[in-house]
Amino acid sequence: MTAREVVDLIKKNAGGPWNERSYRDTFKAGDPDTAVAGIATTMMVTLDMLHRAHAAGLNMVISHEDTYWNDRDDTKDLTANPLYKLKTDFILKNGMIIWRDHDHMHSMKPDFTVVGELRSVGIKGGENAVMAPRIWTIPETTLGEFAAQVKAASHARAIRCVGDPKAKVSRILVGPGYATPRMTAEADVVIGGEQQEADGAFDNVEYVMDAASLGMAKGVIMLGHVISEQAGMEDYGKWLRTFIHDIPIQFVPAEEPFW
Amino acid sequence: MAGAAGAGTLGVRGAGPLTAEAVARRIQTELGGEWPETGADGFKAGEPSTAVTGIATTAMATIDVLKQAAKANANLVLTYEPTFYGHADGRTPAVPAGRRGPVGLNADDPVAKAKRELIQKNGLVVFRLRDHWAARKENEMLTGLAGALGWSKRRVANDDSLFDVPAATAEETVAHIRAKLNLRGGLRGVGDRKATVRRVLLYPGSMTPAIMWQRYTEVDMFVVGEVREWENTHYAADIFTAGQKRALITVGRVVSEEPGMRACANWLKTVVKEVPATWIGAGDPYWRAS
Repeated sequence: MTAREVVDLIKKNAGGPWNERSYRDTFKAGDPDTAVAGIATTMMVTLDMLHRAHAAGLNMVISHEDTYWNDRDDTKDLTANPLYKLKTDFILKNGMIIWRDHDHMHSMKPDFTVVGELRSVGIKGGENAVMAPRIWTIPETTLGEFAAQVKAASHARAIRCVGDPKAKVSRILVGPGYATPRMTAEADVVIGGEQQEADGAFDNVEYVMDAASLGMAKGVIMLGHVISEQAGMEDYGKWLRTFIHDIPIQFVPAEEPFW
Repeated sequence: MAGAAGAGTLGVRGAGPLTAEAVARRIQTELGGEWPETGADGFKAGEPSTAVTGIATTAMATIDVLKQAAKANANLVLTYEPTFYGHADGRTPAVPAGRRGPVGLNADDPVAKAKRELIQKNGLVVFRLRDHWAARKENEMLTGLAGALGWSKRRVANDDSLFDVPAATAEETVAHIRAKLNLRGGLRGVGDRKATVRRVLLYPGSMTPAIMWQRYTEVDMFVVGEVREWENTHYAADIFTAGQKRALITVGRVVSEEPGMRACANWLKTVVKEVPATWIGAGDPYWRAS
């Protein structure tokens, strides 16, 4: 089976119309007509992840995020870049092929990134979660305690929090990656991957700092982009196995980049 | 005729009260450039005709900063970042609601309402000063950050953002940065923590990928406000995997902008001599889950 045929099967099984105009969900490097020896699913095509996929004999990588360090995987300014050459040479020399599934994953029901994120942070009942944020209710605890639970459940090193650690919280909004939900009147805590800190569409950080100054129980928990969407790619691999049977499929995590 | 009559009531400069509007005009004249109504800079809250008793500068006019300004009798607050939680900054946004929820603020938002009441009750005036301050050729946003880190005399060239700092490991340099900027939990490091750091590229605010792609071979460490993780963080992680001894440090957007606004208060003292100008720090917003 070629990489192109794998993608055709994914398009057929994704459960909705396929948007061929998505600039994200395309082949990024390698020859689509390569015979697939094995599939690695991952959150981000890091060089480290490529090394591990290759060592495991997996030559097709399906990633949720980009390969060339920008959302469009635009390489026109990178052709003379040494790191670009090194990464592309590694992919081509080893007969690897990279394909991204981002936009369509977020349209699927369920959205595996959200399902995986909820499981990662220890919130139960999220097996059918979709992209549109909703409130998840947990037994009342403090923001500090909850953040500690999230850290223990996710095994993440660099979780940043805003708000009063003693604030009593139970209503949680969760969003993956850069789609960190905006704080609402109904929510106590927003959990996201990353977000511009200020001057964006809605600045959770300043809002929660001010809410805390007013004595309102509000908090932000920033997991980091990789941690927030990592587990979803394990679920994506399991989903692939329901319609691709004769090729090994493995989840190859991208490491949390932070110290 | 109107001019002659006005001279008696309004007085010549220095005789009448110095209004927030007059301070803004003086800042606009000094900094130059266009100041369109649709731009980011301008009045965000309060009455521009208010007589100014003192000026406070800050990277971000949080409620805590506004309370400190009121206490210090500084009723004109100049802020680098928005006051009302987003780029629209209290205006009705032109962008329709998307799948990530509505952009901007609800009219009855309780936090924004309390903030507006605090501003009104204390007679404060809030003015955003970002684009025009950042555009100054003296680049105090950069030199201010370098000064706060004790690296003012270590700039490689006056028109660039490279600094030759005392040789130390990346971890030791981070410890220095943490102490100098009084950080809590916002700083994150990527790359080789044992790398010997001599040359640093400093970048307050948000750094784009192109800067990283073009300049990483020149420096041992980037010290920046923030980046997008799926862009520059990803790049720094790949550099590390490729065996290069470099690191990327993000200190947090707001804390990276604080020293530049401290420098702004010092500059104001030379432009507005009638009232005191002081800097009020918004502080590192983050703590770490543990």
